[in-house]
Amino acid sequence: MTVGGGVTKAGTTREVKGEDEMTAGEPSAADDAWGVEHPPSIVRPFLLTAGRIAGGDSLVPTIPIETQVVATDLGLATLDAFVFDQHRDIITICRQPQSLAEIAAKLRMHLNVIRVLADDLRADGQLALYAPQAESARDATVLRRVIDGLRAIPDSRGAIRER
Amino acid sequence: MVSELSPTPGARSVSADTEGPRPPMPVKMVIAGGFGVGKTTTVGAISEIEPLTTEASITSVAAGIDDLSHTPEKMTTTVAMDFGCVTLDPTLKLYLFGTPGQERFGFMWDDLVEGALGGLVIVDTRRLDDCYAAVDYFEHREIPFAVAVNAFDGKVEHDLNDVRWALDVGDHVPLTVFDARERGSVRDALLVVLEHALATAQQ
Repeated sequence: MTVGGGVTKAGTTREVKGEDEMTAGEPSAADDAWGVEHPPSIVRPFLLTAGRIAGGDSLVPTIPIETQVVATDLGLATLDAFVFDQHRDIITICRQPQSLAEIAAKLRMHLNVIRVLADDLRADGQLALYAPQAESARDATVLRRVIDGLRAIPDSRGAIRER
Repeated sequence: MVSELSPTPGARSVSADTEGPRPPMPVKMVIAGGFGVGKTTTVGAISEIEPLTTEASITSVAAGIDDLSHTPEKMTTTVAMDFGCVTLDPTLKLYLFGTPGQERFGFMWDDLVEGALGGLVIVDTRRLDDCYAAVDYFEHREIPFAVAVNAFDGKVEHDLNDVRWALDVGDHVPLTVFDARERGSVRDALLVVLEHALATAQQ
């Protein structure tokens, strides 16, 4: 996969400016934890994405954050061939299906960077992406399944909610 | 890109090959509300994983201005977003995303909210103002939502009818009281949203 191509005009990087100010992935006891720093990677995100960004006004299609990502056999087979740790890390944690959001959180990378990298790896056949079903939010069958699934969750005392 | 239908029931594949473990179909709900109202506590009470934090981009516009075309200045900000998940069965996984709260800004969560089954707006009755933006947003986007008053000490300081009046939400919007720390209570609040969404879908 090519990582060259150069960084595009400076204005396109505004979406993830302040990457150093991003909060860490630590689940914090405080609600809405802000401003915790984490050590920056040696490789800057925009070298990896060749300046491309996702989301906002970007031309890169926005992949839903809950999209499931799974490493393919090809991806796992070529694990040692990646130049950048970030690509290898994505493939490695996607041995088990993960959402884009989980990948971003666990690898402590910006969601929009993960979107671009995951799409690159998909194009190269190293990842499989499963987007959510279109219109599932208005699909009574899906809603009923979610309702039934939630109802089966016991509360803290172990009881199951009455129907 | 996001176009090909996969043979997988549920998830829609966006890639040509579909090797590897078959993932569950992801669905999501959005947990909204002001700063410190208990969004992360709510997610954590029911999530099977410790809530994770990632950075999301939100586009902020000046408060009170709804039409983006009239705002030359829109700012994209990177904010923390907490989320968790519940595997409902091997083929279905519910994600819960706590929206980044921006009290003094209008905001666009389109990226986050697109395709959500519904929204839960958490309210602290001592700071009702904090949730107006979320209520407006869900109403504007026509996303089924319910308002849940977080009873921090197991009690609510205001009559629910007063809360409904103060928030100016219609009778069709479910209003409930819950405890963000209790799994069963969070589950029931989410069910209020989903049952409302189901009723809406069947209309």
